[in-house]
Formats: sequence, structure tokens, C-alpha cells
Amino acid sequence: MKLSVIKAYMLKEFTELFRSKLIIMVYVMPSMIMLLFGYGIRMDVTHARTLIIDNDHSHFSRMLTAKFEHSKYFNAKLTQISEAEALHRIKQAKADIIVIIPSSFEKRILHGQHSEIGVFVDGAFPNRGMTMESYVQGVILDTAQSVGRSLGRQSGMISINSRNLFNQAMRDADAIVPGLIGLVLFVAPAILSALMIVKEKERGTIFNFYASPLGRGEFLAAKLIPGFLLHSLNIFILFLWATELFGVPFRGSFMLYWFAAEIYILISLSIGMLVSVITRKQVVAVVLTIIITIIPGFLYSGILMPISSMAGESYIEAHLFPVMYFNHIIYDCFLSGTGLASAKTVEYLGILIVYAALLLALGSMFLKKELK
Amino acid sequence: MADLEVRNVTVSYKKQIGIKAASLQANAGEIIGFIGADGAGKSSLMHAIAGVIRFEGEISYFSEVYHSPAEAEKIKPYMGLMPQGIGLVLYETLTVDEHLSFFAHIRNLRQDAAFKAYRQKLLHMAGLSDFTDRQAGKLSGGMMQKLSLICTLLHRPKLLILDEPTTGVDPLSRLELWEILDTIRKEEGTIILVSTAYMQEAAKMDRVLLFDEGEILARGRVSELIDSVRAYTYEEGACIGKDNAESGCLSFDKRSYSLDTLAAAHAEPTLEALFFVNALRKKRILPKIEIEARESTLEIPETVMEAKGLTKNFGDFTANDHIDMRLGSGEIVGLLGANGAGKTTFMKMLLGLYPIDEGELKLLGKSIKSSEDRQVLKAKIGYVSQHFALYKDMTVRENLIYFANMHRIPLSTALKRIERYARELGFDAYMEHLPGELPLGINQRFSVAAALLHEPVILFLDEPTSGVDTIARAQFWEMLHRLKATWGISILITTHYMSEAEYCDRVVLMRQGKKIADNTVKALYAKHPQARNFEDIFLSYYRSEA
Repeated sequence: MKLSVIKAYMLKEFTELFRSKLIIMVYVMPSMIMLLFGYGIRMDVTHARTLIIDNDHSHFSRMLTAKFEHSKYFNAKLTQISEAEALHRIKQAKADIIVIIPSSFEKRILHGQHSEIGVFVDGAFPNRGMTMESYVQGVILDTAQSVGRSLGRQSGMISINSRNLFNQAMRDADAIVPGLIGLVLFVAPAILSALMIVKEKERGTIFNFYASPLGRGEFLAAKLIPGFLLHSLNIFILFLWATELFGVPFRGSFMLYWFAAEIYILISLSIGMLVSVITRKQVVAVVLTIIITIIPGFLYSGILMPISSMAGESYIEAHLFPVMYFNHIIYDCFLSGTGLASAKTVEYLGILIVYAALLLALGSMFLKKELK
Repeated sequence: MADLEVRNVTVSYKKQIGIKAASLQANAGEIIGFIGADGAGKSSLMHAIAGVIRFEGEISYFSEVYHSPAEAEKIKPYMGLMPQGIGLVLYETLTVDEHLSFFAHIRNLRQDAAFKAYRQKLLHMAGLSDFTDRQAGKLSGGMMQKLSLICTLLHRPKLLILDEPTTGVDPLSRLELWEILDTIRKEEGTIILVSTAYMQEAAKMDRVLLFDEGEILARGRVSELIDSVRAYTYEEGACIGKDNAESGCLSFDKRSYSLDTLAAAHAEPTLEALFFVNALRKKRILPKIEIEARESTLEIPETVMEAKGLTKNFGDFTANDHIDMRLGSGEIVGLLGANGAGKTTFMKMLLGLYPIDEGELKLLGKSIKSSEDRQVLKAKIGYVSQHFALYKDMTVRENLIYFANMHRIPLSTALKRIERYARELGFDAYMEHLPGELPLGINQRFSVAAALLHEPVILFLDEPTSGVDTIARAQFWEMLHRLKATWGISILITTHYMSEAEYCDRVVLMRQGKKIADNTVKALYAKHPQARNFEDIFLSYYRSEA
């Protein structure tokens, strides 16, 4: 390994990256994914269009209506239309929820009789439907308690006192954005390193490596270090997007976040290198890298569902990819801040380091200095 | 023992053998030429010697012996390889200067005063001293090859392996490349292995190896090889009456070849005779060509196409500067010039692929101005591009049907025509094959068939013979002459083989976007009585105006 040789080769790589404008992709793509997904994925529901048909016009029914109207989760509208007409509105996708208050609502409650409120929820998107349903139930339960209190009954038979840990505000961004960093830093460096090696194969310039005394280690170093340095900057850029734009809190150690992210980039670069071993065309390399990285990067990132709730094959698969380990650390850094005090974080960091070392070794083993 | 010894080297790929049990010896200061058709095994052997591909057998270079790429690492400091393909080892966005520093660095050369002087000398020899700031992607093909060569020479290799360094390069650049090689071998005592498609070049080498189907068929000094085929070479015209494959008689470039004794005078053979004699021996001749008259009857005027002062600018670079050209009916015009002289741009303008910046273009007496006019233009011209624009995933038949659809030829007519062309041009046996599985000579024929489907009045051919072996080239020209005779079609063709210029009725010579000569071959010879062949005429034009 001669440092001057690596330096000269790296200089060539940087010159090419800048002159071929590939450098734009290195910085635009990660931020673009972050912004698109960050704004695009919304799990919580706000401003659900709610039609309330009040057939009772009583004090209690107005109380219930008011609760809906004052909630940020609903855009409630009191109407006089028929039930059939209201259902038609849902079909036309002009409303999400219908709440029907029966005509003798107050009277029955005052008589201590059972009363039913009709609720229809658009369940086209199951997740969203379930969320809306639970919101509606919450509002009704809340109203029922108020009603109970106003009737002077000692209603506090059951009361729910829930508090969300780690993501107290239950904000979507807090749950998704750290996972996105894990996704982006898995995809982008891999594409770059795959491109940088396969480009030489496709063009034919790889002969300069094959036919010269240049060592495999020198070649790999010259190919991986530029990607490593360039993407190291992305660690900071993505951090700023997360904390400044999406307002995600950061409670842990920045050094831990930084260190883990650098190791993670190394893993991603090695995956790209492995892809370049088996491909000859840049297009194929890019598509293959995207398939290999983006699917596990997304599915097993913990964005869609927590790994702990996975079962069987998906649980095993999740543990095979490095995404899960990194995301554990990153969510810890952003949301809980336990850091190295948690044995699991230390273990996962260790796994990441082993991963990086293993992939780098595999890559340099498979990269042959000869034509196929 | 020779300085370089190759013993029983075999290179095999997944499906086929690249080269089988090849041996050779070479000594310091020798130039060994590799000749043979595409896929004959030249590149495979070169890659094995360069240690960039796995092989069986043994290679020794002085005291170093190697059997694999890994073992070959120890000779790489002394070795230089220039693989096949124009500018293949260059980085498009790096300048000439940056290339030289890059290659010096990765070879870990000490950049002292002696190195700098050598580097200057190489730049000067390659004529690149004034272009050190230009990016490789913006150099002409000839300049790219010269830059590749000096990058390969930078570390003063003692074993230089050059795979078709001159293919697709114009005669002048070719000559300059050879001058560099000759100087280097004399000064440095380098062993040079070089493959070439140009037999005039092969004739300059110390020894020549003839490759065919993965074997070395013949080897020796040029004079020995030529002697070996003298008995089968006759004067032009000896084949008349039985001029074709089945009769075992072939003609090309003023000579006829036959294994049988003919009652005709013998001619002095060139190295090309080796190919013809080998093909005759192996009875491996492409099917013959018969062409019938076109289906549509057409009144073709005396002048089919006329260009006046055609100009094309790319930014502040003038690719074509006021070029006049006339294409008469049934005329074959050769468009010659160095790489980057503007031949392809000119052809694309005539085709209507580029808008014309200045000047006038007339087709069949009508001026071409609007884009609708250009549409009419395209319908009258058949075009075969530099690398045969065929679809690799479709069979020959599917390709032809696709091209017929593009020209909106009714399917029934198209199918009939495709059958007819396949029969006449002799590729009907290959209709269900993919282009990648076929010899280049067959691809070349069916590309022409695709360009003829709409029965054009003009045929444009952009370097149709580059990389095609001698015999396929001979038959290609025979086909063009038959087309001209039976169809009355006009042909505009570009080529880097100067011997092919002699088959044209008229030659247009271009240099740096300008027309510098336009005359019949006969008149050009009359003007240059000292010229031995057309290459001399070409070079005299380029030199006198340089």
C-alpha cells in the first residue's frame, strides 16, 4: 500500500466526480429522500372530515358536537342530511366520518337507559380507519365522563391516564425521520461506490488497474475513501434536516450518533463494492443496489412497524440486515438518549463494526484483478 | 531461450475457447504482429500474456515464470497493455496533462527532470503538446489513441502489448502511431506485440502470426508468409466466369485467389492473400449474392442529391464549413478524412438528422427546407450507421420486420421483400438467430438489407467495414457494385481502408471540416504519379495542407 499512489488515484476520482457532476447526486439524493419521505409518510390523522347528524338537539348532544368541533383531529360539520345521503358522501370521498346522534339521546341517558351513537368510518385505508375510529371513541368516552360528572354521579369508575414515553407528543416526524436517516445512509453510499467501480468496468478503464502494478488494496482504498468522506458530510446535513426542519428532539450523544453513522456508511459502501463485483453495467449496478438496499432499508427500519412485533421469517430477516441495529442506536440517540449505558446499544454497535469488517473483507476477497 | 516465451497457452470462456494451445517466442526489440479475423483469438492471447485473464499453460518473461494473473503481478511494472477500443483506457473528463500525471502516479514513477524530459518528448511525438489542457472526451479518435499509447509508454515498458491500436484511426494518425512505436523499440529495446486489421501495417513487422478460430495457423517473416501463398495468387480477372465461392475462386483488390491451378498469370500477393487462401482451404465462404431489380419503377434524374455550401456549427466550433457535393445517379462516392474531419456530421446533415445551419440541399431536384421536407428526405435514403443499429434481443427476421414497420411498409409487401433480400444477400440461413451470434460480415449484410427495405434511391454507409475481416469486406464491395448495377442506386460511403477508396467512382476528401479534394480515383492517380497506392495520395493531401 503506497500512500502516494492512493492519493493520486483519489485525486482522479474526485476530479471525475466533480466534472461529471455526479457530486450533485451525492448531496441532492439523500436530502431529497429525507424531504420526500419525511413529508410524505403521515401516520397520524388530523382534520378528518366529520359529518355530525344531530337528531336530538339537546344539551348533551350539543356537548358532544362541541367536543368534536374543538378537536384538531376533526373538521366537524353539523348537518341536517339523511343518513343515506351522509353515507353517499363517504362513498364520494367527501367525508371520512359520520356521527349520528339518535333523537332521544338525552332523554334516555337521563333515564339511565342504554343509548347508541351511530359511527361510520371510511376504512379504505385500514390504518387510517382504525386511527379515526379510536379518536372518535376517545371523544365519546370523554363526553360520557363529562356527562356523568354533570349528573353528579361519581363517574370516575374507570379513567385512563396514559402517557407516551420517548415520543411524548406522539409526533409522526419523531417516529419517522430518524429511521429515514438510517434508510438514506444505507442507500446512497452503496450506489456511489457501486457506480465508481462499475463505471471503470463499463468504460474499459479498469484495464489501467488490471495491467498495472496497482494493488487491490490501493484500488479499493482509492474507490471507497472518496465516498466515505463525501457521505460523512451527509451525516451532518441529515442531522440538521431532522432537528431543524422536522423539529425532532435529540436527547442522546452526538458522538455516538456520528461514530455509528460512519461505521454504517462503511457497511453501505462495502455493499456497493460487492454489487460491483457481479455487475458490468452501471445501470444494472444502480438498479441492483437500490433493490438490495432500499427494500430492507425501508421494511426493516422500524419506520413501518417495530422489529419486536415482527414474527417468524420477518424477524430473522430483520436481524440479517444491518439497518435494524443502526436504527436502534439512532432512535436511542434521538428519542431516549440512554446511549452506551444500554447494553443493547453497545451490543448493536459491536455488531455493526463486525458487519463492516466482514463486508470489507468479502469485497476485497471477491474483487479479482482479472477479466471474467 | 527467448526473452518472452509463451508455451501452450489456452484461454477459455464460459461457452467458447478464446485461444487454444498457443506458443510463441519473442526477443527484445522485436515487433510481432497478430493478424486474423474478429474473434480469432488475438485479444485472448494478449490478455493472457498481459496477465489480466486466467489461462492454462506457462509464460516466461526473462527469468519470471507465470501461470495465472496473480503470478503475473511481478512483471506488471515492466509491462504495458493497450486494450482494444478507441480511448478505452482514458477518462473522458480528465485532461491530457492529468492523464499523464495519473499514469505516472499509479505506476509510482519518480517525477524527476529525466522523467519530465521524457514526458515532453512523448507529448511532442504524439503531437499533443498543444492540447495538454483538453479533456480526453473532446479529442478526436486518432488523438485519443495516441494519448492512450503515450500513457502506456510513460513507464518505459519492456513488454508492450497493443491490441488493434490503429483500428478506426485515420491513415495519418496511424502513420504517426507507428513512428512512435518504431522509435521506442529502437531506443528502449522493447518487445512489442501488436494486432492490426491493416495488412500494410502488418507488412512492417518483424514477424507475423496468423490467427484463425482460436489457433495460430501460420507464422514467420512477412516474406515467408507471402511466399507460402504465391502459388494461389493470380492477376485480377482470373476468376471471370466462375467468380464465386462454390467455384473456389475469389477476387479482391486487383488479385484473384484459387487453390486450383488457373490458366492465368500469377500476381505478387500481399498478406491479405493469407486470408483468402485460408478461407478457400476451409471452404468457409459467406454465401454468394444475387440482386434483382427493385420492385418500384422510378425515374431517377442525372443528379440525385446536391449540396451547396452546407455548414454546421456546434457552438463556436465549425464541424462542416461550406461543403459542396454532388451525388449522381448510380454513383459510388467515398467520403474520406481523418477522425474528427466532419464526415459523420456531414452525412447526418444530408440525412436530415441535423438541421442545416447554412447552405442548400437539393434532393431529386427539390430543395430541402422544412422539417416535412426532411421527412421526405429520410424516405428516399437508406442509412447504415457506424455500429449497425440492430436490436440485439430480436432475431434477424424480427429486426427486419421492425425496420419495415418503421418505414410503414405494408406487412405483406415487407415479408415478401425480407424473404427476397435474405435469399439474394445470402443470409436466409440466419433468419432466426440473434445478431450477437452471427459473424460481423452477416450482420453487415442484413443491416444493408434493413436500409434497403423501403427501396431508397440513395444509400449512406458510415464505416460499414470497420472491424470486418478482409473476405467479408471483399464480398461487401461486390454487393455494393451489384446494387449499383441492378438498382441504379447512389451510394455515399465512409471508410478508413484506403484500398477501398479504389472501389469508389469518386472520392471526396475532408479535413478539419473543409472539403480538400473531390475527384475520380483515376484523376487523383493522374495528379499524383508518384503514389504507389491510395494511402499515399491521402497522406500527400493531408501533409501538404497541414
